[in-house]
Amino acid sequence: MLRLLYAAILGVVGAGIVHIAILFMLPSYSERDIWSRISSVAAPYTAIRLDRETLKGTPSRPTNPFLTAAACRFDLSDGPVHVTAPGAVPMWSMSIYDSDGLNVFGLSDRTATDKRFDLVVLTPPQMQKVRAEVPAGFARSVFVETGTGEGIVLVRVLMPDESWQSVIDTFLDGLKCTPMPLE
Amino acid sequence: MLKTVLLTLLALAIAVGGGAGSVWMMLENAPPIGALEAGPWTSFPDAGTRNADPYSRARFAREGGAPLGRAEGIVFSASRDSAGRSLRRNCTYRIEGPVPSARFWTLHAADVSGALLPPLGRRRPALHSEMILHRQDDELIITVSPEPSPDNWLAITGRGAMQLILTLLDTPLSSGFQVGELALPEILLVGCDA
Repeated sequence: MLRLLYAAILGVVGAGIVHIAILFMLPSYSERDIWSRISSVAAPYTAIRLDRETLKGTPSRPTNPFLTAAACRFDLSDGPVHVTAPGAVPMWSMSIYDSDGLNVFGLSDRTATDKRFDLVVLTPPQMQKVRAEVPAGFARSVFVETGTGEGIVLVRVLMPDESWQSVIDTFLDGLKCTPMPLE
Repeated sequence: MLKTVLLTLLALAIAVGGGAGSVWMMLENAPPIGALEAGPWTSFPDAGTRNADPYSRARFAREGGAPLGRAEGIVFSASRDSAGRSLRRNCTYRIEGPVPSARFWTLHAADVSGALLPPLGRRRPALHSEMILHRQDDELIITVSPEPSPDNWLAITGRGAMQLILTLLDTPLSSGFQVGELALPEILLVGCDA
């Protein structure tokens, strides 16, 4: 009887360990996060629109009918990535997600010059190099420093009504992510 | 010998079954930690960031999604009215009160899973701050109803539960909010279709 009790106590302690192990392992094995979903359909530096049927298994999270988005993956070990989109839209904002799909940085168009979408995402050491000598083409860009090596740039655009459709299509279809290796 | 094997199996079964089961229970049923609440509205500003607690992290990993960053905005959802009754799609509600300052806000009706409700004709169950008729003070009045109504009408259809989702874009609220000062509109039940 005592041995049965001993086994039960051992089981409960084990359950605690299993509970904690599953809890902390779940995020890294998930295939539903934004990183896994985008990397299964798009190569790095290829921009895709998230409002079209590009992602398998449409988003289960609340989706705002007035927001549309496009995104691309990057790897900062290739050098800073230059992200641009043409034209002017009513309002844009962007977030950087790391390779676990967590939001690590957000920015709205208030930060940009003339609300143009022109960003350079880089690591702090790359920022140091760029600061010493700003490469041509980066003159009007907003610099975004991030600690994540691999990540996703996701741009959200507000579409107040359907009359903006063509402007927003131009903007999102024109999203470009270009790696810019430093010397 | 056989007794030892059986006891070992029992301990293992309790460990694996209990561990997995308790995680599942916590993720399915337990209320998330770190919610920001104002009247009927709740928000999880830390969801999907590195500041989230392990349970929110795991729940987020299961659900997926791309949450707004703090500089982008903040999302509030309500699945109950101000009196605590769950929101029904065949009822009429009046949303009344102040909206925190934001460059732009949107309000839409979604089903329990978060998908937008089907449109009524060409009218989507969604409004934004530039479609709204404002009163002279900053307060706003929106009627959420399956029946047409004057002024601001958020058209809903169907039956069953729903939630209302208020998204504030580019708002000072999301970067350094004060819970005590946060005032969001009330959701008042007007009546229900039988």
